[in-house]
Amino acid sequence: MITVCRIEELPPGESLRITDGVPAPIAVFNADGTIYAVDDTCTHQDASLADGWLEGCFVECPLHTALFDLRTGMPTCAPAKTPVRTHQVSVENGHILLHISVGEPA
Amino acid sequence: MTTFASESPNTGEAANADEPSSLISTLPGDYYTDPAIFALEQERVFETMWFCAVRAADLTKPGSFRTVQVGRESVIVSRARDDSVKAFLNVCRHRGARLCTDESGEVKRAFQCPYHAWTYGLDGRLIAAPNLTSMPDIDRTEYGLSRVHVREWLGYVWVCLADTPPSFEEQVMGDVIDRLGDIESIDNYAVADLGLGRRITYDVKANWKLIIENFMECYHCATIHPELTEVLPEFADGYAAQYYVGHGAVFGEQAKGFTVDGSEGFDRIPSVSAEQDRRYYAITVRPQVFVNLVPDHVILHRMFPLAHDRTVVECDWLYLPHVVGSGMDVDRSVELFHRVNQQDFDACERTQPGMSSRVYRKGGVLVPSEHHIGAFHAWLRERIGRLPVG
Ligand code: FES
Ligand code: FES
Ligand SMILES: [Fe+2]
Repeated sequence: MITVCRIEELPPGESLRITDGVPAPIAVFNADGTIYAVDDTCTHQDASLADGWLEGCFVECPLHTALFDLRTGMPTCAPAKTPVRTHQVSVENGHILLHISVGEPA
Repeated sequence: MTTFASESPNTGEAANADEPSSLISTLPGDYYTDPAIFALEQERVFETMWFCAVRAADLTKPGSFRTVQVGRESVIVSRARDDSVKAFLNVCRHRGARLCTDESGEVKRAFQCPYHAWTYGLDGRLIAAPNLTSMPDIDRTEYGLSRVHVREWLGYVWVCLADTPPSFEEQVMGDVIDRLGDIESIDNYAVADLGLGRRITYDVKANWKLIIENFMECYHCATIHPELTEVLPEFADGYAAQYYVGHGAVFGEQAKGFTVDGSEGFDRIPSVSAEQDRRYYAITVRPQVFVNLVPDHVILHRMFPLAHDRTVVECDWLYLPHVVGSGMDVDRSVELFHRVNQQDFDACERTQPGMSSRVYRKGGVLVPSEHHIGAFHAWLRERIGRLPVG
């Protein structure tokens, strides 16, 4: 388990890229108050989803506009075909906590 | 720095000593035909001065953009997320591909290079690129788009490609003050608040200086502008409004408005003064803007010099918002100066081929009512540093 940051450090619409203490970079999003975490690297080419655009509970890859559902990690349109892994997050005592899933991608 | 050997003395004085004193010489023909001189002008005029690029209201929302040619550079002028206007060189910082190939358009939230997909925010910052996260030493501002200075005035976005731009007040407003006597005289027309009634783009096969010189004089008016001379009878004498300071040509008694047939125009722009009513003012803002002021509208020309023998002119007819908003018929109003433009640009195109004739090697001559054009020539020579060798 990793402490990401204080909740007020990730306001709605913002994202963070976590590289420390994780096997692969993870993007954490605040989508209108709900916190989501997914693997940061797009499954199409090497782009950071934390640099992408948040639309509701979807993130659009900044490079070729693949759209991923943050709830499931599933891509909803081309060019990405493979999902990104999702990770559990919780908020405790004003801190965002990240529970890394190690299993196969969803 | 380039210096040019030249056969003519290039002093801006009479081309030869026998010339009658009522005549002064123009620039030599090669100023209008030599690509090397045009290259100097691109570098030392268009890329160093304030250049009127885009009408601000054409950039309707964040992501709207226009690309314009300024000197040798293509420039993107666009509206950012915070509604401010920004301008960038239209060149990808990776390997130089042109980012936007369209003349105008809209991006959703970023400019993306069509080559390897480097992606820049509307503020120019590099926001994404393939493998960017594995190159953490790339500074996203440093490798963002190259910014160009911007300034908004009269409802237009002016850009300057110089590292340190000249004073906008001195260069741009200074030319207006030199012509009108003060800045209030143009403020009265509230140009930034007017709406676009019509835009006509002219692709003129002539050197940009022929167009400026034409605009500065009215020696040709009685010959090629019958409709204009009808509305402004004093133009038949050959003295342009630009010959004087603060002078507006008075409408003829028969003319109800500044229209092709002298019929009624529209409501006077409310802040136009009583002295300015029923008068026509013309201003050249060097190096590429012409402004015409009449009581009910403003005509603003932006020139885009593309080659030594080609200039694109974008001309906007601007009216009070209610005139544009209610869809009133501006045809007769637009038609007057549209004809003037066609007549003038035809004359410029007729002149361009003569520039390379051997008879024009030392140039032509300016009659007294054109002598003020000599000041433009002197200014240009100094600006491009093209002085005789020796
Ligand atoms: S890298 Fe994400 S869609 Fe291509
Ligand atoms: S040249 Fe633009 S991304 Fe390579
Ligand atoms: Fe004319």
